[in-house]
Amino acid sequence: MRKIFKKFWFKLILIFGVIGPGIIAANADNDAGGITTYSAVGAHYGLKMLWVLLLVTVSLAITQEMGVRIGLVTRQGLGGVIRENFGVRWTSFAMLLMFVANIGTVTAEFAGVAAAFSIIGVSKYIAVPLAALAVWFILYKGSFKTTQKIFLVFSAFYIVYIINGFIVRPDFNAALVSLVTPTIEWTTPFLLTMIALIGTTITPWGQFFIQSYVVDKGLDIKHYKLEKAEVFFGAFLTDLVSFFIIISTAATLYKYGIDITDAKDAAVALRPLAGNLAQFLFAFGLFAASMLGAFILPTATAYSLCEAFGWESGFNTTWRTGRTFYIIILLSIFIPAAFVLIPKLPLVKIMIWSQDINGILLPFILIFVMKIINNKRIMGEYVNKPVGNVIAWLTIFGIIGATVALVVTSSLGMN
Amino acid sequence: MLYLSQILNSKIKDSSDKTIGRLKDISVKSKAGAYAPLDFLIVKGKRRKEYVIPYEFVENLSKEEITLKSLFKSIPNESLPESHAYLNRDVLDQQIVDLEGARVVRVNDLKLGLFEDRMSVLGIDISNKGLLRRLGLERFDFLDLLKVSFIDWRKAQPIKGILKLDTMSKDLTKLHPADLANIVEDLSLKQGSKLVRTLDAEMAAKVFEEIEPAVKKILVSYLGPEKASQIVEKMSADEIADLLQSLPREERDRFLSLLQNGKLKKVERLIKYRKDTAGGLMNMDYMSAGQDWTVAHTLDEIRRVYPSMRSVLYVYVIGKREVLKGTVSLRRLISAKSNVKLKDIMKRMQKRAVIRPNQSIEDIVSVMTKYNLYTAAVVDEKNTMIGMVAIDDVMRCLAPKA
Repeated sequence: MRKIFKKFWFKLILIFGVIGPGIIAANADNDAGGITTYSAVGAHYGLKMLWVLLLVTVSLAITQEMGVRIGLVTRQGLGGVIRENFGVRWTSFAMLLMFVANIGTVTAEFAGVAAAFSIIGVSKYIAVPLAALAVWFILYKGSFKTTQKIFLVFSAFYIVYIINGFIVRPDFNAALVSLVTPTIEWTTPFLLTMIALIGTTITPWGQFFIQSYVVDKGLDIKHYKLEKAEVFFGAFLTDLVSFFIIISTAATLYKYGIDITDAKDAAVALRPLAGNLAQFLFAFGLFAASMLGAFILPTATAYSLCEAFGWESGFNTTWRTGRTFYIIILLSIFIPAAFVLIPKLPLVKIMIWSQDINGILLPFILIFVMKIINNKRIMGEYVNKPVGNVIAWLTIFGIIGATVALVVTSSLGMN
Repeated sequence: MLYLSQILNSKIKDSSDKTIGRLKDISVKSKAGAYAPLDFLIVKGKRRKEYVIPYEFVENLSKEEITLKSLFKSIPNESLPESHAYLNRDVLDQQIVDLEGARVVRVNDLKLGLFEDRMSVLGIDISNKGLLRRLGLERFDFLDLLKVSFIDWRKAQPIKGILKLDTMSKDLTKLHPADLANIVEDLSLKQGSKLVRTLDAEMAAKVFEEIEPAVKKILVSYLGPEKASQIVEKMSADEIADLLQSLPREERDRFLSLLQNGKLKKVERLIKYRKDTAGGLMNMDYMSAGQDWTVAHTLDEIRRVYPSMRSVLYVYVIGKREVLKGTVSLRRLISAKSNVKLKDIMKRMQKRAVIRPNQSIEDIVSVMTKYNLYTAAVVDEKNTMIGMVAIDDVMRCLAPKA
């Protein structure tokens, strides 16, 4: 029996050996903030924003590929590369942005935990502290990698959205037309949702994560072509799920004019597939997705900061030498968890707003990436090609433009 | 106290008080184990023109001002010496190896000062106070809560400028290979491979054996075929086999073709076994002896072959066709009379105190624990001895991160 069990694990590990950084990073993109944002996009605006999703998919593929390439060439995390080429001031600036964005995202993850448990009637005052403690305890004592894998398996839950997407019999023709028909409303809520849609798909932490992953896994520039294909496929896969979440909520919630103010509302979208179990299914999916993010983000934050500032890092360091590393992890778990405990907090809004913060800060991180990837001294023959540059700069200016528009509309009161 | 961050980008004036530009970088001539005297100032003048000013012409170098002894016109404009290390470009913000702590740290600032009447780099500031200073926020720490911590320049090994400094610090090679291996793992691969390259093949092989398999695999391709094969040749057969197993076929064959005949046979035999079994873990550098050897002869033999052995804790007594007959511990051997034959003092081979090549790590651990073995013989179905598993091979398998 033990042997069979061992074999099972061996096979599982093999499967994950094949699944590379592109797919993992992309999958982790569909976290609590992701599910909620995509649900809100479909529920509030129907198919109108699908064109943004198509563009964002291309940008995601391009930017993640750049992260992989920098990792393969420099053999360092993004934090380290920024430090060695821009000095302490710029590094502090970049790291502050990343820290703020990541704290926002972890807040979304714990809001996701709270929302998931509220569906099954468990108070957030019990669920969130327990979840935060569990995250800390498993990171500190247990095996981060195994846990990460378990939650990755759980997050295969997204497949239900794809199945559901067929069951609701949406208008695929209309969806395909919307993919290529830019529609924009110059109102604050529309722009807020749009920036959140971008910010939840392409994230500052994703940029740091994929680069460190490539370095840690010991991938080599020889694998570049394969990695590139894998990253592109990952971007396609994650946004395929996003696509189905959006058309599912569009065909259900949007059709009947239901706004998402509560996680329960978002769960309604799964009713065609799961009937009365929809609530539970959604709660489970949201919980798994939240926990995956809650595991990855504090650790990723701490590793990047430590690499950039030269503090010792890793769970094999002692409290004395790795103090800063542990403090960063503790802060980035417990500040967001405590924040979510504020009474009467609008959880869904928090999840979406945190993605807005990510979206607004993203261009600045991408500018660093662009400066690095076009530097011949760092990248040698692997500098960016014009196509990649054009797409990346369009992304950067697109987001900045949307942010400016958001500021204008909100100051003019265009709701 | 003077720090590099305090003078970078300061105005530089010549003897007529005319500003000629701002300080961009400083080059040093560095020798291993000595403080590095400043050699040239690199000055960025008008219209982005760069000038190189030999340090002899500097009158005063301080936080407040940098002045030159003579008129700018009279200073010969030299070209940048390529062989030098540049403090701003190659050292500041980069990773360095702290030789005393055997770890990799990032340079937050550099301390300058007079040493034997020459302005030199004395220390490397790795503290958070250094970070604050770079950010210009030092005054916020008015209570002086943060302490500055330095690494003595002589006790550090810059990595980026490593090829330029060309003489490798001797202290670096004094580190234990396992510590050096950890340092190589901590560095980026480019820098790690540079470091390995500066070691001699013998030392590099020892370091290589301690490096994590995944990193080792890429290091090989980073080092290039020539250097890599020099190092691989010096490694022990079991380590070579482990490494080659992880490489693609063509590369494996290329390394195999470079090995000497004796080693080649060993490696080829080892490579057949799976990594997590006794066959994959075992090595072939064990001390074997005939049953009729005397104690004196055996000790002579040990003296002759010991350099190629990692450990000689037991002598394995072999009969016809390499069949394992028994073992003699080193303790027994030293305390026995010199004319006694091995077969009279050996512990007879016990079926349960040996290991079979396909046994798992758990099985090996339980055999070694039960019979209190530091090294255990690996035998095949005919009791032919084919290798030996040592406790350090087992430990590395159980605690791969250490």
